[in-house]
Amino acid sequence: MKPAKSPRHLLRGLLIALFWLGVWQAASMLVAKPVLFASPLDTVRALLALLPTGDFWLSVLGSFRRIALGFFLALALGTLTGAAAFRFGLLRELVSPMLTLMKSVPVASFIILVLVWFGSANLAVIVSLIIVFPLIYFATLSGLGSADPELLELARVYGVPGKRVLWQLYRPALWPYLRGACASALGMSWKAGIAAEVIGTPARSIGEQMYLSKIYMDTAELFAWTLTVIVLSAIFEKTVLWLLGKAGK
Amino acid sequence: MDVAIKNLSHRFGEKVIFENFNLTLREGGLYGLTAPSGRGKTTLLRILMGLLVPDGGTVTQGVRYSAVFQNDRLLPGKTAVDQLLFVRGVRKDREAAARFLAGLLPEDSLCQPVGELSGGMQRRVAIARALWAESDCILMDEPFTGLDEDTLRHTADFILANRQGRTLLLSTHQRELLSEYPFEWLTL
Repeated sequence: MKPAKSPRHLLRGLLIALFWLGVWQAASMLVAKPVLFASPLDTVRALLALLPTGDFWLSVLGSFRRIALGFFLALALGTLTGAAAFRFGLLRELVSPMLTLMKSVPVASFIILVLVWFGSANLAVIVSLIIVFPLIYFATLSGLGSADPELLELARVYGVPGKRVLWQLYRPALWPYLRGACASALGMSWKAGIAAEVIGTPARSIGEQMYLSKIYMDTAELFAWTLTVIVLSAIFEKTVLWLLGKAGK
Repeated sequence: MDVAIKNLSHRFGEKVIFENFNLTLREGGLYGLTAPSGRGKTTLLRILMGLLVPDGGTVTQGVRYSAVFQNDRLLPGKTAVDQLLFVRGVRKDREAAARFLAGLLPEDSLCQPVGELSGGMQRRVAIARALWAESDCILMDEPFTGLDEDTLRHTADFILANRQGRTLLLSTHQRELLSEYPFEWLTL
């Protein structure tokens, strides 16, 4: 369990946040063109105007549903494929070129290809899946590979049932790797998912709203949507990591 | 079931460890194994357990082994009782496992993570685990390492009282401390 943060630590965090808000405010005053660079106050005002509208919540829900679905699909498929590849060397060799490709192809190429092939409705799901899948796959391979060989040998001699070996030896070895991969993948899934939505502009999505803000040159609203994505991404990340922590005990 | 090793040959590089080596462990026999370091005690035990394929010869198949390895090989973060349940049993056996362990360890140590136990206590957990497991033959590789003389005798008594007629092969450098026990001594 993490130790609780001391008041001094919290105060320091608050001061750092205030410092950067000050920098933001100063920069907006320096630019002095709200249409190019909205101030923190303008952003909060735009966010407060968005919050009571139905469109805001429908867009948030739509994007959240798509990105979360893509992430969880990638988590399930990446873990299963990684585990199967760990067990069967042939499968590992077979999927290796595909994963190298997935890692090296630019996200924008994927977005355009998916848009052409599948349309915009589930674009964020697929893009989020494509971005997260290799991270989870490689983490699973490394995690399972890190299981203590001496304990595995012991289990073999004693004839310990496979299910118990999986749960008591492989699972604890896998968990730190999976958790680390998820910590990176969660943020990436939001970044890639929103980028995909901005390009594909599916109905009722944050990406569509950001695109409209750009069209109308409403920078304050664009900042407000960006702030919303940051908060959603942080909540999603904390929740999933907390759930993973619970499941790993 | 007797355990028979026939015409065993094995070498590591140029070094010959076994050459036409034969050995029969009678079912229920109590064997002590001694040899200078590097003569193949651990290798022999690993071949018996099927962890090492010898260059030549045959070993009786179908024997269920439990073992104390040279290092303790305990599950990190788990209690002494958990170590026993890993190799045999389910949750409902927890109390029985604790009672069994109490013959070898102080009761207040049984539910502590093994990392918090002393080296000697961890060794005794590994020994208790080998005896607790279902097996036909128990192999112990230097089980008394790190135990003082009194604890060694207490542990040896516990081993003999709980092997339940199973074949026991125990390798040790401390033969003189076990002279009062009815081991049949083998030398490599």
